[in-house]
Amino acid sequence: MGHKLLLNGAMAIGPVIAALLVAGVVLAVAGAPPVEALNALLSGSLGGRIQLARTLSFLLPLVLIALAWIIAFTTKRINLGLEGQIIVGGVVATLIGLHLGGLPTGAHLTMGILGGAAAGALYAGIAAWLWAKRDVNEIISTLMLTLIAAEALGWLVRGPMQEPGVVFPRSSAVAETAQWGTIVANSALTWDILLVPVAVVAVAFLQNRTTFGLTLRITGANPTAARRVGVNTVRINALGLILSGAIAGVVGAALILGGETARMGDGFSAGFGFEGIVVALVARNNPFGAVPAALLFAILDSGSGFMETRVGIASELVYVTQGLVILFVAGAAYLYNRTRRTRVDTSGTTPDAPATATGVRAAG
Amino acid sequence: MGVFDAFWLATTLRLSTPLIFASSGELLAERTGILNIGLEGFMLAGAFFGFLGTYLTGSFLMGVVFAVVAGAMFAAAMAFLSIRLRADQIVVGIGINILALGLTSFVFREVFSGPQVLLDRPAPWRWPYLAEIPVVGEALFAQPGWVYFSLVVVAAIWFVLQRTTWGLSMRATGELPEAADTAGSSVFRNRWASTLVAGGLAGAGGSFLSIELGVFIEGMTNGRGYLALAAVIFGRWRAPGVLAACLLFGAADALQLRLQAEATVPLEVWLVLALLGPAYLVVARRSLRSHHPLTLTAIGCVLVIGTILAVAQPQFTLPAQLWRTLPFVLTIIVLAGFIGRSWMPSTLAIPYSREADT
Repeated sequence: MGHKLLLNGAMAIGPVIAALLVAGVVLAVAGAPPVEALNALLSGSLGGRIQLARTLSFLLPLVLIALAWIIAFTTKRINLGLEGQIIVGGVVATLIGLHLGGLPTGAHLTMGILGGAAAGALYAGIAAWLWAKRDVNEIISTLMLTLIAAEALGWLVRGPMQEPGVVFPRSSAVAETAQWGTIVANSALTWDILLVPVAVVAVAFLQNRTTFGLTLRITGANPTAARRVGVNTVRINALGLILSGAIAGVVGAALILGGETARMGDGFSAGFGFEGIVVALVARNNPFGAVPAALLFAILDSGSGFMETRVGIASELVYVTQGLVILFVAGAAYLYNRTRRTRVDTSGTTPDAPATATGVRAAG
Repeated sequence: MGVFDAFWLATTLRLSTPLIFASSGELLAERTGILNIGLEGFMLAGAFFGFLGTYLTGSFLMGVVFAVVAGAMFAAAMAFLSIRLRADQIVVGIGINILALGLTSFVFREVFSGPQVLLDRPAPWRWPYLAEIPVVGEALFAQPGWVYFSLVVVAAIWFVLQRTTWGLSMRATGELPEAADTAGSSVFRNRWASTLVAGGLAGAGGSFLSIELGVFIEGMTNGRGYLALAAVIFGRWRAPGVLAACLLFGAADALQLRLQAEATVPLEVWLVLALLGPAYLVVARRSLRSHHPLTLTAIGCVLVIGTILAVAQPQFTLPAQLWRTLPFVLTIIVLAGFIGRSWMPSTLAIPYSREADT
């Protein structure tokens, strides 16, 4: 058991360290001293109250998007449209925040969050319906819906939802009653960070302790067997996608209602819909693992701007690192499977036997 | 013909070209069982390194060579991870896309940190005599070289897949790898080859975007890789179908560019909208009764609404941002209209292992 935990941890951390090392080499090649860059990265993300607050404020979108990915991926559905679901969630939350006046604080805020969740769920529901009824590949449909949502957002913040009398592409600030209270003044760190532990525990509970979670897991692990025992796998897959969209919608709502300016700007989703996927993959699709993984990426995101000004390295290096992490994680799965197989083999009665599946069965 | 003029035709061809390159390579890869979600990344790598190559050497040809090599390098990473290490192809593809976006933006900002670099654009190929044909001559026969080369590529892919032994072995690799392996074809070699071809061609397609425009913009492929993936599905994994799908997406893209400039949607657009459904029924070549009632109802509604709008001609237009979504909306609609699972290569995205039970 201790061994397994150690192996899992190594498989999660190994690719990250490898990717960071490659990034360090890239830094050196680009003519920046890696140690100084690392220093700048850390002091830009953890070096002070404001910096730390900004870093922590990235946890909510990263962790929740990772959870959204995990839910859909439990049934092996690929939700590449989390970014689009964040956008529609944010738009609806902004509308509620702007136009539903006169409600008490708690109710208004709750309405905004639920509205965002409903919008995200509906938007993912389009892809789910297309997948279930029209056999449309969900990878392509969710991505197309994201491109559509991004264009529509660009129009909304320059058209019908633009703040009157302002040239910037942004909406007015939502009503005070729809905003999360700030923890650190003048930062994006608001009490919505409490949603992080709640969501992690809720998703883990749903997956491991409920009937619905079990059907999700068996549908993903073996659809044929699931159908045999009477699970409506098409419906379960679709529900997984919709639930995933709802979580992304909550993120959209949180980015507006718990944002620093509490208004919607062009591109407010800031790529969290894709970055959260990286977080989930590093966490090997484990809800609890998403928290440390998200913290790492929050530090990278938060400190990269300061690193850019300090040592003159383009902050896009962070995306290079993220891409490498995914590739290394995908590659490490092979090593993981191989290690497991060899371990079982060596403990078996025939140490000379080749590492075949038969060996696994005999030992297990 | 209003917005459907020779200029629109020329734009359609140009906007289809990157898609044709990318999806014909992807067609080959998918027929051997490899799904490249990273197609977008291959194209973006091609766009940037094509631009860089042209900038460094001053030659468009070298630019394309850079682009093809860059696309193939990313594809090699894809092939190594998904064929050798049997990693999840979709996850690797997502990683490739993020890596390509990061790497191209990073190197672009490090190398071109000064003011916007504008390169000379390649001169179009003017075909002798043919370019002089009235109306369509200029549109069809005075285009950049890529446009004609993309048609050669898709024809070559068709020929290889359908008419050569190697193509047969490729197709067998995607349908029944165990049988292909037993018959002496190397599943691994076929998949490696097709993935590298897909990467190189997507790179070439991407290079057209940047070199033809004379600039590189971060993330400039903007979903075209996914459109190319959709074109392979919509074309039902057959070269002629894939070509038609690319032309359709290109046509929609060209149309939305025109409509952004129009004060109101002209009559002919409504007529085309009305006729899309009947056109689909003709293309599908099935009896009316075999279609889903919902599909037929939808087609009927669109036909009626389109006709009414063509007659009434309301003052109507959309903001530019919404017109830009036209190819994406069209992609979703055509994929929803064509159920094509039975045409799909049966081991698409499933890794192959010689061991008995993995």
